[in-house]
Amino acid sequence: MICDAKNRIGLAALTKTTILLSVVFFFAVFASDASAQKKFSRSFPTGQNVRLKLLNRSGTVTVEGWNRAEINISATLEAPAALIVPQSLSGDIVINLVRDNQGRNEVGNVNFVIRVPYTAQVDIETRIGNLSVSNVRTSFVRARISSEGDIELTNISSGAVSAENGLGNIFFDGEIQENGIYRFSSMRGDINLRIPFTSSFRLVATAPSTRNISLGSFSNANMSYLGDGRRVVGRFGDGSATITVTNQRGSIGFIRR
Amino acid sequence: MLADAIRVEISSVGAEMNCEECKDQIGPFLDNELGETQASAVRTHLAVCRECACVCEDLSSILDVCTTEPPSEIVPPNSQALWCRINNIIESEIKPPPPVPGEQPRGRFWRLSFAQLAAVVLCIAVISSLLTVVAIRSYTQPGAEDFTTRSVATQTTFEKVLSKVGLMDTPEKARDRRVKEQQAAIEYWNSRVQARRVSWDRATREAFDRNLQVIDDSVNDYTMILQRDPEDELSGEMLDSVLNDKMTLLRDFSDL
Repeated sequence: MICDAKNRIGLAALTKTTILLSVVFFFAVFASDASAQKKFSRSFPTGQNVRLKLLNRSGTVTVEGWNRAEINISATLEAPAALIVPQSLSGDIVINLVRDNQGRNEVGNVNFVIRVPYTAQVDIETRIGNLSVSNVRTSFVRARISSEGDIELTNISSGAVSAENGLGNIFFDGEIQENGIYRFSSMRGDINLRIPFTSSFRLVATAPSTRNISLGSFSNANMSYLGDGRRVVGRFGDGSATITVTNQRGSIGFIRR
Repeated sequence: MLADAIRVEISSVGAEMNCEECKDQIGPFLDNELGETQASAVRTHLAVCRECACVCEDLSSILDVCTTEPPSEIVPPNSQALWCRINNIIESEIKPPPPVPGEQPRGRFWRLSFAQLAAVVLCIAVISSLLTVVAIRSYTQPGAEDFTTRSVATQTTFEKVLSKVGLMDTPEKARDRRVKEQQAAIEYWNSRVQARRVSWDRATREAFDRNLQVIDDSVNDYTMILQRDPEDELSGEMLDSVLNDKMTLLRDFSDL
């Protein structure tokens, strides 16, 4: 009986100790996370024809169009925190983390979420990290990654689109406008373009290493395979737009929207 | 005094002499070279003719001056030198006006010897030939952006002829030249990256190295293909593209 009581007391103490240690561990981890990350947020009232120009060092950048005449910039900064100094220059919003942090040896990732008027021109670039642009109907969209990262452009309606990266995938889901110019380039990764079947364009698609160029529904008699299948050149519809796709060591695919 | 003497003689000599004859005789009369009869006739005419009397008085006063003044004051000390000076002044006055500075006499420009003319023609021929060669080279020499579109297949006959005579690079030579230019730029940016990369964090260094490795693999692939088939236009274009990518990667990371 006495032994049984002692066992119960020991078990309760063990339970309490375990719970206490768990709480301490949870708060310790949470506190360290909280101290390692910082937040940045700022808004700029703008017109509808504003241009966003962003150059990031490393981290993800997400740009979304919205129906407001303002640009809202939110960023999560990993330690050591980078300096962010947005500027409004002649109506353009310019953020240049490479310039603003030059000479600082170690700067953590900066992950941006930026909301822009859906008619805003978007010009974003990063040295390392993913880029995403969605829901814009503008005259110009450019996304460039110097080294590694995926580019995702969804629900885009623009007459000039450029996406370029080193290692990583590129996905474009949008319209092909008349007389528009569309350029996609990657060193290694998959490039997939999801466009309406009603599009009309001239195409130069080159995949010299893999020779993996899939035209899908857009294959027709006007398309020619050149250089032992390393390049496809041709026209779809009346061919008023121009699409140039180059993937040095990856595949190219067309998907009907 | 002379007039009084003349008046005394009027009564004895008649007024038979006219003015012309009198004026002819005035000089000898004043020099006392006339005979008495002639002298009387002159005196008589001078007494009655006022005009001739005035002429005689003028001549008489001139003769008085010439006889009373010393000769040294009348004759210049060096008449020959004086004449030379006068002559010089006259010649300088009748000389044509000096030409306006900068104005070349007409016709002189063409007065060239045969040797000078031949040298001029030779110079013009050499200069025009050089200009023609330079113009052809600059017209036919492709820029960096045209490099990728050039190949043996796309060469025109004119370009082939120029290539044969050495006025224009062949597509292979143009590609080699372009690659050398790109390699020089890559070396420059690479040196800057090497100086900076020690300050990068590990993730940045690894990402950079991975990308550079993929690009170098592609460069090697296309170089090998072009060694086997120098006329592979597509591989030449892709080699140019990946070298540009490498240059851009190095430049971008040299800023970090």
